[in-house]
Amino acid sequence: MLANMPMLETRALTKRYPGVTALDALDLQLDPGVIGLVGANGAGKSTLIKVMLGLLEPTSGSGQLLGFDVVTQGAELRQYVGYMPEHDCLPNDMTATDFVGHMAQISGLPRAAARERTAETLRHVGLFEERYREIKGYSTGMKQRVKLAQALVHDPRLMLLDEPTNGLDPAGRDEMLDLVKRTGREFGIAILMSSHLLGEIERVCDHLVVIEGGRLVQSAPMASFTARTGSLVVEVEAGEEQLALKLEREGLQVKREGRLLMVGLEDERPYDVIRDAVADLGLGLVRMEQRRQTLEDLFREPAAEGLEPAHV
Amino acid sequence: MSEAPATSSIYDLGYRRYDGVRLGRRHAVAALYTHSLRTAFGLGRPATAKIVPIGLAVLTLLPALIALGVAAIASDVEIYSANGYYGYVEVILALFVAAMAPELVGRDQRQRTLTLYFSRSLLRVDYAVGKVAALTSAMLLLTLVPQALLFLGRAFAWNDFWGYTQDNWQDIPAIVGSGLLLSLTMSSLAIALACYTKRRAFATGGIIAYFVISTGVSAIVANTASGIVRKLSLLPSGFHLLRGFTLWMFDVTPTLDAQGNSNGPAGDLVVAGLDFYWYAVAAGVAIAGALYIIYRRYQTVAA
Repeated sequence: MLANMPMLETRALTKRYPGVTALDALDLQLDPGVIGLVGANGAGKSTLIKVMLGLLEPTSGSGQLLGFDVVTQGAELRQYVGYMPEHDCLPNDMTATDFVGHMAQISGLPRAAARERTAETLRHVGLFEERYREIKGYSTGMKQRVKLAQALVHDPRLMLLDEPTNGLDPAGRDEMLDLVKRTGREFGIAILMSSHLLGEIERVCDHLVVIEGGRLVQSAPMASFTARTGSLVVEVEAGEEQLALKLEREGLQVKREGRLLMVGLEDERPYDVIRDAVADLGLGLVRMEQRRQTLEDLFREPAAEGLEPAHV
Repeated sequence: MSEAPATSSIYDLGYRRYDGVRLGRRHAVAALYTHSLRTAFGLGRPATAKIVPIGLAVLTLLPALIALGVAAIASDVEIYSANGYYGYVEVILALFVAAMAPELVGRDQRQRTLTLYFSRSLLRVDYAVGKVAALTSAMLLLTLVPQALLFLGRAFAWNDFWGYTQDNWQDIPAIVGSGLLLSLTMSSLAIALACYTKRRAFATGGIIAYFVISTGVSAIVANTASGIVRKLSLLPSGFHLLRGFTLWMFDVTPTLDAQGNSNGPAGDLVVAGLDFYWYAVAAGVAIAGALYIIYRRYQTVAA
């Protein structure tokens, strides 16, 4: 079913609040996979997820999830979707077992199946020992696991995870990301995960969607981003300005970061060009190395430019 | 949880897909109803959450048990009539809805569990229906169990069980009918008040304040005003309302004291002089209004 239809599709999807446009005529089409949804706080990530779940009604436009219309077929659709909200949502005086079991039944699972799936799911998220304890005694990391478990217990086709690492310490963050990754890769459950941290998305996802101010900035496979982000760090003893000019004349993309030159690396040619240029100018080459750029680098500059008008 | 080597993965059940049935909306409502009914008595919650609901439930039984106990010892004591029983327990019933309505609807808003319900196959209206039905059912237990005990007690005290039952069977529809109307009225009013706040204290206080203030004000107006104001004076009062329709269902008219003055809520009803069936009509209107308010709330509440 999933293979030949888009997992998510929106057409001119718009959500307006008084004074704010959270989603601005968003057109998006995503195939099943582990998809990262990135944007600054307030970019519209949570709004998009909530509209797709039917928790918010779109102002205009339409959306489909797993082939179901999100407005008219919400109840049916939501049997196949798991949602982990960003905020706290757990009753503190129930045990994880009781709560996740209850949520499984609300998702339509018969009582016996709900009980069985609850035990399995809690074990999967690593909460087996503590499952008969009240949630109020749980750490933040354990609570996040319960939130993930309730989104997974009814074996959804798709999970919508809104900032799943929210509030976790670095170790807890790693564990949660591994868990999300395993759930998506090994069990074939499609995942749409939002985060404001590109590093997290990079570790887990195979497709990246960037939104800003409710508009789509970019939607592409992760590989296409990392391919484009290759660059070469060149350090010379002196005369980096001369070198930069010469390299640019040769048609390379050069950016200066302090004393370092960052040279765009689309193919093998820059290595030779740099070697020749350094030799021609008689400069002392300190180092030349390929830099594994992170997605953060890719978006750092546009973000910085975006900030500038505020200073002026 | 240890990572099993890849070669042993055939023995590691790991995560399994679920291929069984998905029962959808109706099952979800039923599950919510059952869960909420249990919550109304603190079941599935820690022991401290059971104290108030179980305690109040026992208190609604207490007058019946005492009456039956006394009657068992002293044979010529009259056991409460079915239509008068709510007079002894109405305050306890009000305390029960005041305590448990916020527990059923406020908690999900406070802890934001509502989001998890609404992101499943339930519709917003289903949630409201499940919650009202659960509290109404809990109230039915609190009203019908003591009434059933009293009925059986009177039948046994009569020395001719079947004779009593045959003579008084027509009380049964009145008992069930008044219990149902009372449960639905109190539950829907309490949830209509409670679903608008996350704060338990406000909800509980509001519900208690409604019953106390409306009873007091209505009684004063009924005994001092005249004309149409006096006739309608008791309609806003929850306790008078349920007394009124109970008397109508049992077809009983209470008596005034020797001076012709009201002696308590039942007397107020006589003083006000409105036909008792109007109290059943008013209860119906109150239920409809409360359900509409609840419906509106859950259509618009943020999740």
